[in-house]
Amino acid sequence: MRELVLVLNVKAHILLKNLFDGRLQSIIKNLSSFIIFGGVAVGVFFLSRLSTMYLIQEAHIGQFLYHRFLSMLLYVFFVTVNLGNMIVCYATMFKSDEVKFLMGLPISHEKIFLLKFLDNFFYSSSTLTLLGLSWLLGYGSTYSMPWTFYFVAMFLVFLPFMLISGLLAVLFLMGLIKVASRVGIRMLLAGLVVVYLLAVYLYFRMTNPVQLVQEVMKYYPDVNQYFGYLDAPASRFLPNHWVSEFLYWSVRGEPEVALPWFFILVLVMLGLMIAAALLAQKYYYTSWLSASDAQALRITRNGPSRLRFLQLSRPGRLERQTDVLLKRDFWMFFREPGQWLHLLLMSVLLMVFLVSVSSLELKLTQPLLQTTSFLVVFLFNGFLVASLLLRFVFPAISLEGEPFWCVRSAPVSLRKLYLYKLLVSLVMVLAIAEALVAASTYLLRSDPVLLRFALICMGSIAVGLTGLNLGAGAYFVAYKEKNPIRVASSQGASLTFLASMSFLSFSAMIVILPLKKYFDNLIIRGWLTTDWMVLPIVLVGVVSLVVFLVSTGVGLRALHRDL
Amino acid sequence: MIELQNVTKKFGGFTAVDGVSLRVERGQFFGFLGPNGAGKTTTIKMMTGLYEPSAGACLINGFNVRRAPLMAKRHFGYVPDQPYIYDKLSGREFLFFVGGLYRLEADDLRKRIDGYVALFEMEKFIDKRAEEYSQGMRQRIVLCSALLHQPNVLIIDEPLVGLDPRSARLVKDTLKRMTRDGMTIFMSTHLLEIVEELCDKIAIIKDGKIIFEQEQTATHSFDGQLEQIFLEVTK
Repeated sequence: MRELVLVLNVKAHILLKNLFDGRLQSIIKNLSSFIIFGGVAVGVFFLSRLSTMYLIQEAHIGQFLYHRFLSMLLYVFFVTVNLGNMIVCYATMFKSDEVKFLMGLPISHEKIFLLKFLDNFFYSSSTLTLLGLSWLLGYGSTYSMPWTFYFVAMFLVFLPFMLISGLLAVLFLMGLIKVASRVGIRMLLAGLVVVYLLAVYLYFRMTNPVQLVQEVMKYYPDVNQYFGYLDAPASRFLPNHWVSEFLYWSVRGEPEVALPWFFILVLVMLGLMIAAALLAQKYYYTSWLSASDAQALRITRNGPSRLRFLQLSRPGRLERQTDVLLKRDFWMFFREPGQWLHLLLMSVLLMVFLVSVSSLELKLTQPLLQTTSFLVVFLFNGFLVASLLLRFVFPAISLEGEPFWCVRSAPVSLRKLYLYKLLVSLVMVLAIAEALVAASTYLLRSDPVLLRFALICMGSIAVGLTGLNLGAGAYFVAYKEKNPIRVASSQGASLTFLASMSFLSFSAMIVILPLKKYFDNLIIRGWLTTDWMVLPIVLVGVVSLVVFLVSTGVGLRALHRDL
Repeated sequence: MIELQNVTKKFGGFTAVDGVSLRVERGQFFGFLGPNGAGKTTTIKMMTGLYEPSAGACLINGFNVRRAPLMAKRHFGYVPDQPYIYDKLSGREFLFFVGGLYRLEADDLRKRIDGYVALFEMEKFIDKRAEEYSQGMRQRIVLCSALLHQPNVLIIDEPLVGLDPRSARLVKDTLKRMTRDGMTIFMSTHLLEIVEELCDKIAIIKDGKIIFEQEQTATHSFDGQLEQIFLEVTK
């Protein structure tokens, strides 16, 4: 155990040194991180309080139904943490140079596994953990719970819940790598995408939220009683159910019923940890070797390209430097399976979103509800665009990588390089964002006025977000990091995502009242007006332009930093 | 011609290079020596535009690297100490990429690449992806990329690290021939016998300052004494 403590100690030392290195730039960076993370935590706290109060006191849905909704949210959270850990895990636990180094030392494999698991967990789940803990604080304060509740709920219920998700992810991946050597990595990844989509689909089919609401509401106003018999039997085996049951019985003031759920969570987490240690002892090294072999296999299978017009040896019609930069980026993207597979996965998620919107049957007659439904879909579009940007545009400068010396020492204007990256990103993002918002707005409500409004607003927001992500990516650049997934899940990336969310929320605040006015006129008075659009479009446009220009300025300056 | 005018580089409170002034004439082979951490690579990075000097100026053929970077960069080729190239591109693709950055005409570029592939005996691996390359293979690719645009100044940081004896001989012969053809070479290295064999002029840097500078001619050669000199002045 001594060597494990030693390595952890070194890591903690490096982390602290990075955090408090005394340089003005670091102090500003850390302070702004603190402000943004703190601001988001406070935002989530109040959101949790407001939503809980609204659903219980205004909408009167009852404690049982509220906690079942929580359970569903926790399930999505569980899958997100699981997927995040699995994606980062391959790079952290199977491809990292640190593992290569540690494997050469007399340290047991299960200790390396444990060390890298913790590394992986904190790297990929810290932002989600912060959000979850802030949410629990808001939730507990709504019910005026005692301090013991916060301690137990946050550290002995929520953290084990997160750890179960993370542990399952790394164990699952370890097994997959063993299987991959037999069925091939492509087949396996395709299977993985199907499994995750099926898991979400089957869960919601099994829990059937619409039927659940109808069944509970039959007893209105006695909706606070326990309707446990309505739960699908299989859902009781899921950690999200255990957490929601713990919370439900805690707020009802019956800790003796809540405690068994807490024990189940802790015991399952401990059991999984022991199982992980045993499995790692037996399989971590062999799966690590398999991953290395699979990489070598992929290299030797590299065949000649059929896309001759994209070959670097053939000059294209573009200006020479732009031509080679574009072709280089194309090949670097499509020769890295992690890149195009993620794009494929995100495209599938976009399709799922559009299909879900098309199946919504909203027969809403109140202007406020119409405004809310439109805004929710619009913001979700923005969220998807921000996620795409974080994954593919934020790492764009970092992906220049250590070979950046060859561009920096060549007669290439760095401004031109930056603008080239900005332009390529803008074209791609605008095309996706506009197609997405057009399809979702049309599918939700075929209203030409709203469609025009959504297209213009989303276009402006996409421009702002693209500038923000590329600029922040240049500011938080990590040339030494080869893995774009790790770049997109770094602290700088988390900050950028939170900034993107704040920008989206601010844009929503600008458009909410004019939209409400539009629906008032349309539904109550039957007027189809367009004059209301001008002010919100101008305001969103100005905010986006400011975000774009400031970020581009910051990005350009950052690109000139010493290499 | 290379000229460093009172160049300084500070990283926070630490001065890595402290008022270095040097002049390397056209066609001269210059050896830049110094113990580990003396400031050799930092000086080279300032000369190539990868670091911005805190003070002073680096001039390549009269062009200030900071004020006219694009003009200066057209005149030199650079071989870094770590030969990082794109793992997902083959060596040939990397060379076409670099040639494109210098806006070389495609047919001419193809001929030059074929020439260097033959010269540095890279036929066996040039079309494989760089993730398969050894350090020596990468080193040869990077050297070719620095020569593609036929610069008249070559700045090289530890050019022979990782090369097998045959490749090292090949590189040394090539560099010698290029100096004879009028190329100015600025080379940082720890291999003193190479410096004695190749260089017309040397400078030794320690703690960011030039502590020794001397030319080597037919009448004034180091004659196997360079190691002794180095050990004495860097004590």
